[in-house]
Amino acid sequence: MHNYIAVIFDDTGKAYKGLHALWELDGYGDITVHGTTVVHRDDWGQFQIDTKETHPALATAVGVGVGALLGALAGPAGAAVGAAGGAAIGAGAGGVVGLTTDLVRGDTREQARDETAFVLGIGQAAVIADVSEESTAPIDSRMSELGGTVRRRAVSTLRDDAWYGEYVPSRYLYPYEYIPPPYAP
Amino acid sequence: MSVNMNTSKDLAQIRAAAQQLHGAISDAAAKRGGAIKADLEAVGQKAKAVAESAKASIAAQNEAAQKRLKEAVADLEAVQKHAAEAMKNSGQAFQASIRETLLDARASVQKVSEALAAKRSAESTKTRK
Repeated sequence: MHNYIAVIFDDTGKAYKGLHALWELDGYGDITVHGTTVVHRDDWGQFQIDTKETHPALATAVGVGVGALLGALAGPAGAAVGAAGGAAIGAGAGGVVGLTTDLVRGDTREQARDETAFVLGIGQAAVIADVSEESTAPIDSRMSELGGTVRRRAVSTLRDDAWYGEYVPSRYLYPYEYIPPPYAP
Repeated sequence: MSVNMNTSKDLAQIRAAAQQLHGAISDAAAKRGGAIKADLEAVGQKAKAVAESAKASIAAQNEAAQKRLKEAVADLEAVQKHAAEAMKNSGQAFQASIRETLLDARASVQKVSEALAAKRSAESTKTRK
């Protein structure tokens, strides 16, 4: 099964432990991880993505792609607003990711905020990952041990979403374990 | 549940090399001026080496992995092309070439990783029998 997953944790530090554990499972050959990132929601309700220092245009692209994926992982209604939400979310290197008012209608913006809030509450963090897994047990078991809650969506169902062709989510996930210095083990 | 890593080792090594390539391009993109052009020359050579490894591994893989590896080779060749273009370009054309180089590298890692997943899946099925 080729799935996108979101593993929700109470804080960013726990999320990076979860991210490390995912890559460990890949190292054991239990699953194959194709890409990961960590998103967290700050006290003001804004989303932040930790990125490597890179060109601002590339960092913005990461925000757009991950924002779209986050919307899709929120469920069917989230998928409907995923494109709008994704297009409106930008990122800087370690900077704030938020909704911008000029790119999306107000009603859609509100809906996107509600949907993503359903997935990720204020102060929470999520590991977003693209994985191949023969069984859901290895990830579910390990993430549960670390206090994470796993949500999944099959890549095949995401491809049915109209926006998928424009925003190929995997492009914007790190294809290796990237943990920013403040959270490095 | 763990699969036999020895038989997947070659693909895991190719994926690791493709991951390093993506990291190198991502790091280079953060630089300015001449430093990035020097890095791009190394990127082109590295992409060529990874593509050669992937090509050499194709015959030993199952059908699904072979398909993915062939796609990865095409992406790695595109990395070489766009990195070479970036070295010649400037301004917006340069930035566009860098972006294309990074996207091609990302796509190549994805394809190799999916090839690895296909191989692990086949080995896991064999183990269960």
